[in-house]
Amino acid sequence: MAMTTLAADERAALRDAVNRLLTAKSTEADVRRTMATPQGYDQALWQGLAEMGVTGLIIDPEFGGSGAGPVELEEVMEEAGAALLCSPLFASSVMAASLLDTLGDGAAQARWLPGIADGSLIATVCLTGDQGLWTPDAVAVTATGNTLDGVANYVLHGQNAGLLLVVANTAEGQGVFAVDAKAAGVTVASHKTLDATLRLARIEFKGAAAERIGGRGWEAVDEALDVARVALAGEQAGAAGFLFDMTVNYIRNRYQFGRAIGGFQAIKHMAADLLVEKESCISAARHAARAMAAGADTAGADISLAAFACADSFAKIAFDSIQMHGGIAYTAEYPAHLYLRRARATAFLLGNSNYYRDRYLTLLGA
Amino acid sequence: MNAEQLQAMTDDQLRTKVRAWLAAHWHNQCSTPASSWDTPAPEYCAWLKEVLDAGWAVPSWPAAWFGLGLSTDQSKIVSEEFRKVKAPGSGQDRSHLAANTLLTFGTDSLKRELIPKLLCAEMKTCLLYSEPGAGSDLAAVRTRADRNGDQWVVNGQKVWTSGATTADYGLLVARTDWDKPKHSGITFFFCPMKQKGIEIRPIHQITGESHFNEVFIDNAVIPAENQLGPLNGGWKVLQTALAYERLVMAEGAADRRSGVATTKDLITLAREYGRLEDPLIRQEIANAMAYRRLNDLNMVRAKEDMVQGGSSPLMSLGKLAMSRILHTEARVKTLILGAQSLLDGDEFPDAQDTNFRTFNSYMNSIGGGTDQIQRNIIGERVLGLPKEIELDRDIPFRESKSG
Repeated sequence: MAMTTLAADERAALRDAVNRLLTAKSTEADVRRTMATPQGYDQALWQGLAEMGVTGLIIDPEFGGSGAGPVELEEVMEEAGAALLCSPLFASSVMAASLLDTLGDGAAQARWLPGIADGSLIATVCLTGDQGLWTPDAVAVTATGNTLDGVANYVLHGQNAGLLLVVANTAEGQGVFAVDAKAAGVTVASHKTLDATLRLARIEFKGAAAERIGGRGWEAVDEALDVARVALAGEQAGAAGFLFDMTVNYIRNRYQFGRAIGGFQAIKHMAADLLVEKESCISAARHAARAMAAGADTAGADISLAAFACADSFAKIAFDSIQMHGGIAYTAEYPAHLYLRRARATAFLLGNSNYYRDRYLTLLGA
Repeated sequence: MNAEQLQAMTDDQLRTKVRAWLAAHWHNQCSTPASSWDTPAPEYCAWLKEVLDAGWAVPSWPAAWFGLGLSTDQSKIVSEEFRKVKAPGSGQDRSHLAANTLLTFGTDSLKRELIPKLLCAEMKTCLLYSEPGAGSDLAAVRTRADRNGDQWVVNGQKVWTSGATTADYGLLVARTDWDKPKHSGITFFFCPMKQKGIEIRPIHQITGESHFNEVFIDNAVIPAENQLGPLNGGWKVLQTALAYERLVMAEGAADRRSGVATTKDLITLAREYGRLEDPLIRQEIANAMAYRRLNDLNMVRAKEDMVQGGSSPLMSLGKLAMSRILHTEARVKTLILGAQSLLDGDEFPDAQDTNFRTFNSYMNSIGGGTDQIQRNIIGERVLGLPKEIELDRDIPFRESKSG
């Protein structure tokens, strides 16, 4: 990925354009309609994101992308999170695109990145097995030459992907392999999910034909995961901020005992504490993006901090906001639970907070 | 130096100018006193006088009043240059509470007489705000000031006064009209402390220290000229002063301490006690460190917001966040030490430090407004939630219940 950062006005324009598109086309009604479809994303909206350059946001212009860096990615993901965007953006345009980038295989990049950039190809990364940890130990696919056997689970949009980038164990550590999702020996099973706005699949490989991409192993995977961590933190920050504002708006306008309930200290104090969470969440995500863009020595630790701080803050805001709303938020019609589902899902999508807390200390040298 | 020339300078020109002045005048001729309550060395005061005369003490103040009329950003540049060479005395336009209050609300002759002494550390002040019956509800003060000719006569009791024994003046809020509602009958004074109507007794804190005092006021006298702001308009003056105090606490000033050996960070402590491999301890350390780091990042964002103009809601979060940081750090240190935290004394400096922090954390979560009051302020002023109901807000103060 380009580590460049757009000029402030260009960045603001990009964010504004994404905001306007999603405000118009990813309304609560759109989200509910889309999450009920088997595919789980709206083709017209996906096309709109492609035309805006968002599907190719972090892809090099050489391959048809916008060439933006982590700072822009984080900002766009804040918008996606706020709108609960249903799309393969994170799976294809972030995870798969950044993995192809870090693997550094020019031929593979030329073959697949243009399709990812214009949205015509959906790619995804198969990493963890049934264990559900995004670590080398959890890889449960084995490569024998160019043949894959084993299981990948929690694969984002696995059921929609044309290209699978499979992390597999080889005789010399991990390697990454390209597999056609329609190839013989590949069985994709869709999961029913806690968060209906996400699509997750379990994929079995039985003698599936594969091509090794580049020569790098886990290091390249971890570098790509850093990009994904920044993006996911941004998504969490955006969603947390939106839900917080919605909740404050509610407690200002909901009257009981002749007063707005936000006037009661029991509620007011929860809101003050959640404001600390919201702002910390935004600060952590943006700082991680900036550190990465600057190639700072602390970037690894900053990204780990964002990974657990944003997951935890979003989850706290999501849980507490339902409580602060009261009965209305216990109804399925009210959108608060959609955010709680997203908070729970994203908190385990690339590992978990305990893992990232430990990793934070490790990267600080402890 | 001509103030107008300096105002018109680019940042780089100003920097060069300050550097040149420092190069000519600053030869490390004094050190900053360890505590602002200590009596400063004569050479320290002499240096501050030089800084004041050059206008660098309060660069953003008007040229007619000890300053240079620079912008806040220019003033920060001056402070930065002073900091780089470890020269004290600049930036008092932001840091000197009493001088700023006096500049805004004092009479011209009072400003002329007292501000130079304050800025040269020849004169010290203390805060006479809280009372036994007026803590979180500061507008409930019952210390009274009664006018007698060209003087005010003061009677009452104040608490939580730092530096009362060395202060020359106290910033005092006292009730001047008992028939007005509580916020509307208070006046702000600059009260001389060295007089027989003032008796000071130290408070023994849960930390074992005595930073604070009780001040008993029995017919103390204040010249009429020492009234700051309008009669019965003291509440507004006080708000200016309190906002400043919270800002200082948010930046971690409450973390300062004395009398205990240098403190260790959590990782170092855990390593020394062989607990750094304990996965539960690691989780606790990471959380505690994250709280501090996230607050730092929030403060950086707050400052960026302020550079772009206007205030930042983030600023008001700092003090509340600092409470969580300090209490959590003390708790995690206790976990690391285990049973050793039962011990105290110079033989066990880590335990001593940790236990000190356990108690001292309340300095931040109670002092300068409790966390609970702070949550009210955030809820009301930042989030726009309805204000707390005050049953005695609009009735004559003499009918109010407090205490």
